[in-house]
Amino acid sequence: MSDKNYAHPEALVSTEWVSEHLADSHLRIVESNEDILLYDTGHIQGSVHIDWRSDLQDQTIRDYITPQQFAAVCERNGISNDTTVVFYGDKSNWWACYALWVFRLFGHTKVKIMDGGRDKWVAEGRHLTRAVPHFTQGHYAAQESRFDGEIRAFYDQALAQSRAGMALIDVRSPAEFRGEVTHMPEYPQEGVLRGGHIPNAASVPWKMAVKDDSTFKSVNELRQIYEDEAGLQPGQEVIAYCRIGERSSHTWFVLTYLLGYKNVRNYDGSWTEWGNRVGAPIERG
Amino acid sequence: MGKPRWGSDRERLKTAVYPGKLNQIIALFESLPDAEKRESLISYAAAAMKQGPRDGETFDLEDIRKDEECTDTVGVFLKVSPQRGCAFRITLGPQVQTLTKAMTAILCKGLDGLTPEEIMEVPADFVPKIVGAELVRQRSQTVYYILTRMKGIARVWLNRERSAAHGA
Repeated sequence: MSDKNYAHPEALVSTEWVSEHLADSHLRIVESNEDILLYDTGHIQGSVHIDWRSDLQDQTIRDYITPQQFAAVCERNGISNDTTVVFYGDKSNWWACYALWVFRLFGHTKVKIMDGGRDKWVAEGRHLTRAVPHFTQGHYAAQESRFDGEIRAFYDQALAQSRAGMALIDVRSPAEFRGEVTHMPEYPQEGVLRGGHIPNAASVPWKMAVKDDSTFKSVNELRQIYEDEAGLQPGQEVIAYCRIGERSSHTWFVLTYLLGYKNVRNYDGSWTEWGNRVGAPIERG
Repeated sequence: MGKPRWGSDRERLKTAVYPGKLNQIIALFESLPDAEKRESLISYAAAAMKQGPRDGETFDLEDIRKDEECTDTVGVFLKVSPQRGCAFRITLGPQVQTLTKAMTAILCKGLDGLTPEEIMEVPADFVPKIVGAELVRQRSQTVYYILTRMKGIARVWLNRERSAAHGA
């Protein structure tokens, strides 16, 4: 990926690269999808399935699992602290980026995304298997706590960012940003009471970062979108949000790994928190 | 309008009986451990692409559209026999999710031959019995859509029949 001049080209690998590293014992390929049964219909040989909801989120409180629970997820998938994890999935890698971001929350830094995701792998006619791999249990030393402060934003921080007029980007569809709908096309209304966006947020839909085949655009194209048009600057503190944090994970990956921004946080509470919160300021239009 | 052949709502709630073919599918899924249940859903999903119209078939109603509730276009085709038995054919766009595909094949088989009135009476509470409560909880948006579309086309058929009767 060095030909695209990304800030961290090592974080993005091609389908071809993955196909050449299927037997690499230091690597674990992880599929993470919106379609919960898609992995079961066929997946990259040797890949494991980690579900963004049932594996990575607490099943009672709206939050992520504990570091100890994360260590257990890794160990049962044969992932140790020094394992490089390559994520891929459906929907242009939304959930793959989300899973990668959650891995980073737990301090796992050896992470990569397969550019183009599952759709590109399938479109290229590459092999899928239904055989579920079984690995020797990994040894994962859990971190003492999550790295929430570094890469995750909460309501109060997004509010402060909004009031200060600092960089805040809304990566949802334009209609969601304008408050015309409270959910993206093709998705049900999931109980958000108000539509609109966080005051002072700029609308930069996630999709602008990818080409038709779901691969990421070049660094020059990305700079034009995020810097020339949206007004972001490297070194700025940026908060990205969407509806539940999956599309903004995609943008978080773009800003962090492809453009090299060092202070980007994902507000995973996103619009399902903000649009329901009593008294939260909202702009429309 | 006839009473459903498998009993009233009250009787159904007491005995938890669904239309015959659907009941067999439900009973099978309820007997399976989670891993096999998942495997069966994958098998049904694979069969979903065979549920489309066959060459030469004609239909009383066709309803092809892309709704917000589903990730791709779904076409529902209904033929009602002189004995009022429904036959469904369904086409699915490539982006339709696997659970939706599985429910398509299950419902085409499970509701085959029921009258439009009976289709309208089929309760949605069988879905967790097939899919499992956990999958319904996690991905509820995908599992009820096809049943809603099938009931929708049955309702249109009944409305047209009613209109024709009034006009006659």
